[in-house]
Order: sequence, then C-alpha cells, then structure tokens
Amino acid sequence: MKAKASAEDFAEAARRHLDDVHAFLVYLTGDRAVAEDLTAETFARALERWHRYDPRRGGPRTWLCQLARSAALDHFRAEDRRRRREGRYAVAELRESAEPVFGEGLSPALERALAQLSAAEREVVALRIVLELDGEGAARVLGISTTACSTRLSRALAKLEKEVSAGVAA
Amino acid sequence: MSPLELVDGRFDKLATELRASRPAASEGLRNRVEEFARLEPEPRRKWGFRLPARRAAFALAALAVLGSLLAAGVTGLGGSEPSREARIVHGGEATSPSSEGAGALTVPQVHGVPYPRALDKQDSLVPQATRLQRYDATLRLRVKDVDALSNATKRAMNLTRGLGGYVASVEYATRSGRRGGATLVLRVPITNVQTALAELTSVGTILRQQTAILDVTRRAERESRQLDKLEAELAQIKEELASGSVPTGRRLQLERRAVGDRLALKALKAKRARLVRSARLARIVLTLTTPTEQAAPSPSRFDKTLDDAGAVLAREAEILLYALVVLGPLLAIGGVAIAVGKAQRRRSDQRLLERA
Repeated sequence: MKAKASAEDFAEAARRHLDDVHAFLVYLTGDRAVAEDLTAETFARALERWHRYDPRRGGPRTWLCQLARSAALDHFRAEDRRRRREGRYAVAELRESAEPVFGEGLSPALERALAQLSAAEREVVALRIVLELDGEGAARVLGISTTACSTRLSRALAKLEKEVSAGVAA
Repeated sequence: MSPLELVDGRFDKLATELRASRPAASEGLRNRVEEFARLEPEPRRKWGFRLPARRAAFALAALAVLGSLLAAGVTGLGGSEPSREARIVHGGEATSPSSEGAGALTVPQVHGVPYPRALDKQDSLVPQATRLQRYDATLRLRVKDVDALSNATKRAMNLTRGLGGYVASVEYATRSGRRGGATLVLRVPITNVQTALAELTSVGTILRQQTAILDVTRRAERESRQLDKLEAELAQIKEELASGSVPTGRRLQLERRAVGDRLALKALKAKRARLVRSARLARIVLTLTTPTEQAAPSPSRFDKTLDDAGAVLAREAEILLYALVVLGPLLAIGGVAIAVGKAQRRRSDQRLLERA
C-alpha cells in the first residue's frame, strides 16, 4: 500500500466515491439540496486536505465519509444556532416535502420510516447497509467502538422495521 | 459476509430495498465535483515537519533517554580521571630538610590515605651523620586482622633489637578477638633509622606518618664550650689552691666556687650526655591498628565510571521526578480537560444528530 496519496489518486477517489458520499449525506441530513451542497463542501475540503490522507489508516471512502460527517455536523450546528435564533425548525419544514429524499423507488412506507429516524440512526444505516462499509470502517467514521456501532445499527434497523410495519398497517 | 448478517438476518429484505434505491448524485453535483477532481490538491508544506503525535512522542522519549544516557556516559568517563589531589597524595614524597636550621622540621605526609607501597629509604627525612640531630617519627599503620597485629608487633620489636636499638614501651590490646591495636615506642640508632622506617612501613598500610628532625649541633657545641670553660676554671682554682699562699678568706671562696663548678660540670656533662644520646637514638612511635570495618577496595576506573554515570542518571531521575511532581497534576488536569472536552463534544454531536 502506498504511503502517500497523489493528485491522481484524489481525482480517482472523487469520481469513484462521489455517489457514496452523496448517499451518506442524504441519509444524514434527510435533505437532497443540503446533501448536494455538503457533498461539494466535502470534496472541497478533501482537495485542501488530501496531503493529510494516509492510506495506511483506512481507505479513501472512509476518510471521505469522515470529512462528510464533519461537514454535516458543522451544518447541523449552524442550523441549530439559526433555529434557536429564529425560533423555528427549518429542517422539519423541509422534511415535509413530497419529493422522495432517500432514493428513487423506495416504498412510501420505507421513505416515511427513514424520515422518522434521527440523523444518528440514519447515518449508521447509511454506512453499514447502503454503503456496505464493514464494522471497523463505520465505527471509525462515527468515532465509536465496533460493538457500539453494531448495537446502534441493530436498534436503528429494528426501529426502521417497526416504523415500516406501522406505516403499512396505517 | 454481508454487513447485515453480522446483525440480524431479519433485515435482509429491508437492506436489499435500501441498497437498490440508494440516492445517486445529480449531474450538476457530478460536474461540480469533477471540477474539484481536475484541480491539483494542495501540496504538503515543505517546511512542515508532520509526524503523527504518537510517533513524535515516542521519538522524543527515545531521544530524551538516549540523551540522558549519553550525558551520564560522558560525565562518567570524564569524571573517572584520577583527581590532581589524589595524584599528589599518592606521589607525595618527603622532601629533604635543610640541615642548617636549628629548629624542628616536621613533615606530615599522609592523613588517612593509604600509601600504595612501603616507604623507601629516600621517602622519609634523612638524618645527617656529621651533625647531631634528634629524630622523631610517628607511624600509624593498619594491619589486616588481630593475627597480623600480633605478627607485626613481634616483627617491629625484633627489627628494633636487630638494628641495635631497644623497645622503650609496648602497649598491646585486642577486643573481642577481632579488633585490636598496639603502640610501640622504639629507640633505634640514628644511623639505622631509615632502614627501620622502611622495614616498619612494610608491615601494614600507612594511615599516617610524621617525621621531625631537631638539629642540636649548635646546642651541643655551646654546651661543649661551657664544659671547657668550667673545666678550665676548675683547673685554675685547683692550681691556685695548690700554691699554698692563698689567704684563708680567699681559700674559702675558691673552695665554694670549686664545689659549685664541679656540680655545674657534672650537671652539664649529664645534660650533654642526654643530648648526645637522644641524638644518637631516633624515637619512633609506632601505632598498629586493625580496621574498624572492612575497608572497601579502591574502585577501578570502570567502577568509578559506572558510579559517576549512575550518579548522573540518579540526578536526572531526580529532576524528572521533580518535574513530574510539579507538572504531573497540571498535565493530568490538562489531559482530563481534553478528554472531558472531547467526550462532551461527542455527546453534543450525538444529541445534535438525534434531534436532526
């Protein structure tokens, strides 16, 4: 494995993992427009910090997801401050959009169930299920232990299934 | 192995649907990211020496240990050279006294530092055969044990007698059969004093030696002149008394003077005889002692190097310990603050994500 990442590696990583980063941010934010902006922000940061990337400490997808999560957290903090300042809930309003957010072709029940999950629950589902990262990589992105990651995934899926079942029954 | 199999097989259908419908990036986003991909990533700063913090800490610790060991080694090697003082003591020899002075010449030679060898004849003061000199020597020797003490005492006495002298006094004592001491006052003909000292110093390790010479030649000459004067006066008195023409008063006066001169002559002769005798026999006070405790052998240079290096390391450890005691609580508080800050930030992020 190469010790240092080159410019060609960055271009290759950007093209190869764009969809992964975007999907992760869509699940994390629950908003496609915000996810697109954050994806662009993530790759802008990646361009600046590519010299810091060390392939020995994980694949480029894991590193890009870490950057994406950091960008999303910055966004959430900014939104949190804005909501406090303005006294209203912009994200909640956005979620009420009729457009499918989490993917074309998802059943309406699953779409609604995903919207019911918190960002913390959706991010672990995105990493482990949608992006199919292994437990170690997902735990690294989330900054928790592998065991905690498995527990969180299990609870998120159970809740998702419960929400789906409730939606279908309704 | 699918990630889901690690959790539960029940969610396979759910997972399949989620993966099949994963959101894809729009064309607009793809173009935006493509623009980034065409750009050159920011190069690593050439002047920036980036080392992972953990490795940097290990490297610094290794450097510190290496530096301290090096300092200890250098100091140990540098400090193990024999000191100038020690060289002087070991090489110190008695200087020849000026024989012209009438006063005492005292040369204390060693105080508690063992001589590496027995004294040669040239090592101590040499009396001059042509002059009358009082010679006093004090020797303090250490012998190995009580057996050696006994042998050394006997040897000193035999030696003294063998050289034509005598033993003026002996004090010998042992305690609990392991420790002891002896003090001998020896009178040795001054012509053999160098031989005696050389032999005596070989029976043990010299702890102290002091030699004093008092030149009494002028005093003896003065007394000789007084004797001659008295003898001449006495002879004149005898001659005058023998003439028979001395009046009674004068006779009585001469007889009293003759008695006085005879007494003075006798006393002066005795005094001079003592002086000559004291100048003929040197007085040597020999003190023999066993060690109070097992004397440590003189350390070799290697041992001294190790000792010095060890001392430096101990000093460094002391400084390090002191720094740890002073800085330790601050570092611990700082570490705890950082850990608490990180944990709080993680909890805050988690709450934020749970709310979102």
